[in-house]
Amino acid sequence: MSSLTLRNLKKRFGRVDVIRGVTLDVADGEFVVFVGPSGCGKSTLLRMISGLEDVTDGELRIGNRVVNEVQPAKRGVAMVFQSYALYPHLNVRDNMGFGLKVRKVPAAERQQRVSEAAALLKLDALLDRFPRELSGGQRQRVAIGRAIVGHPDVFLFDEPLSNLDAELRVHMRSEIAALHKRLGNTMIYVTHDQVEAMTLADKIVVLRDGRIEQVGSPRELYEQPDNIFVAQFIGSPKMNILPAGSAAGFGAQPAGAVSVGVRPEHLSLVAPEKGQIGGKVVISEYTGASSLLHIRLDSGETCLVVVDGDAPEADMKVGLLAGTDNLHHFDTDGMALRKSRLLM
Amino acid sequence: MIGSLTQRQLRAVKQICWTLALCVVAIPFVFPFLWMISSGLKGPSEIFGQPSLIPTSFRWNNYLEVFNYQPFARQYFNSLYIAVTVTLLTLFISSLAGYALARLRFAGAALVALFLVSALMVPEEVTIIPNFFLIRWLGLSDTHWPLILLPVFGSQGIVGTFLMRQYFLALPKELEDAGKMDGLSRFGVWWRIALPMSRPALAAVAIITFLNSWNLFLEPLIFISSLEKFTLPLALSNFTDPYGSPLWHLQLAATTLAVLPILMVYLIAQRQIIESFALSGVKG
Repeated sequence: MSSLTLRNLKKRFGRVDVIRGVTLDVADGEFVVFVGPSGCGKSTLLRMISGLEDVTDGELRIGNRVVNEVQPAKRGVAMVFQSYALYPHLNVRDNMGFGLKVRKVPAAERQQRVSEAAALLKLDALLDRFPRELSGGQRQRVAIGRAIVGHPDVFLFDEPLSNLDAELRVHMRSEIAALHKRLGNTMIYVTHDQVEAMTLADKIVVLRDGRIEQVGSPRELYEQPDNIFVAQFIGSPKMNILPAGSAAGFGAQPAGAVSVGVRPEHLSLVAPEKGQIGGKVVISEYTGASSLLHIRLDSGETCLVVVDGDAPEADMKVGLLAGTDNLHHFDTDGMALRKSRLLM
Repeated sequence: MIGSLTQRQLRAVKQICWTLALCVVAIPFVFPFLWMISSGLKGPSEIFGQPSLIPTSFRWNNYLEVFNYQPFARQYFNSLYIAVTVTLLTLFISSLAGYALARLRFAGAALVALFLVSALMVPEEVTIIPNFFLIRWLGLSDTHWPLILLPVFGSQGIVGTFLMRQYFLALPKELEDAGKMDGLSRFGVWWRIALPMSRPALAAVAIITFLNSWNLFLEPLIFISSLEKFTLPLALSNFTDPYGSPLWHLQLAATTLAVLPILMVYLIAQRQIIESFALSGVKG
């Protein structure tokens, strides 16, 4: 097992800066998830850690070792790819043992390690099958098995569940969480799926345009986003951001606040005359356990509200209430005004 | 009447009609082949006598005479070893070059690929004179080297490189990344991942190259002068009487023998060959 240290890491493809100075500390045994919109550089950052992409500038340490110039196979990392990347001409046993064979691990030890990993992942019965004879979930388990047999210090997962159907994804998510608990290795996981990020991570790293926007636990990111981007990226449906004037009804605002954020699940519906601010239901989307309402505020903005149970129909006038603890204030640069909130 | 047939009967009728139609279409292709086998068993006078597919008497002696007339066994072996050598070398070089063009980023890669495509359009006959001077300058005239080197580094090599490049381009990059993570060098990735996954393309290149080398006529004609160094196509044209007229019965018996390896390979790897031609987009 090993810690991971990134110091001002940069990556440039030609004239395009893809990673623009990332500094991050990952503790030994931590499960860190990189999230961000498409093109934010999360996969590139993972590939830089793996050694598949060169580091343009900065320092990358695994444990106490600077690995900027170290070959991928000698970094003590293993990677699970989005498309599984299983060798189609090899059966499961040979796929899992391939890396060991290349590293000239003796056949007996190789066999033992493959058997151990296969037992751990319940792949014993599939060892003689070829990848084309496996289901998506089984392939994913083989890919994880291939990573395990090398006994790496750090596991890297590049959107490993995105090719699976919804049900299997939930199942594999729990298997990966259980695996982390059992092995205790440092794991870096890239995803664009918030639920995966929130449920798996000890720490989430939100990236945008090759920079880190915020690092924190899932709860910290949800409850105390540093800026509007993180506030809206974490949480589903995304946080409502209203101009300070439109949200004045929610209560006093700190100096410098130009916008107010409130999550759809933190707004309550009341009768129009009892609401802090008012509006009219435009669309009501029934999602089973709850309904998602699109409400046109009297000030003109549209606001999302999650309502449990019976939801009002379209065109009904409603009032909205929000607790002051659930309000987020942002300045002109979109940065959170947290200290000011404490003074309120 | 057709309306009264059941679905199964209708299908059977359709199948029979198709089979008959295909048999008719096959006649122009199959008939010369049968005629060659038949004539290889006839005497010289019977070939030009009453046309018949079945010989009046089977002259198996023709096949012995083929070997007595000139060093046919040696010539047969020449063709075989040259074709196998050319095929193996072309596979090795074109798969390496194709991989480099598909995967390595180097200055001028696109230009090299463009040159390759342009070279595909140059007829071999155009290059025969400069090649003749080159081979003579290298002192390789009347050896088998030109028959090996020219196809490997000429048109066959280019076709092979182009085919392999196109195939490698379509291989998922993540597999190569996985290979690197497993500790493979660039060469290791080519040898242990890219090549085993490219069997259809390798088979296509092998078959096309072998056939081309086996049938090569112009180069042996230009570069080979010793009888014992002849390859089959040249040897076949050498079954003539003292006045230069073809000895058809020997020529056709020898051609039947020359066709045998190709026919056997075709019967064994029929499906693979058809797939190869489909992959390479060449005519069968």
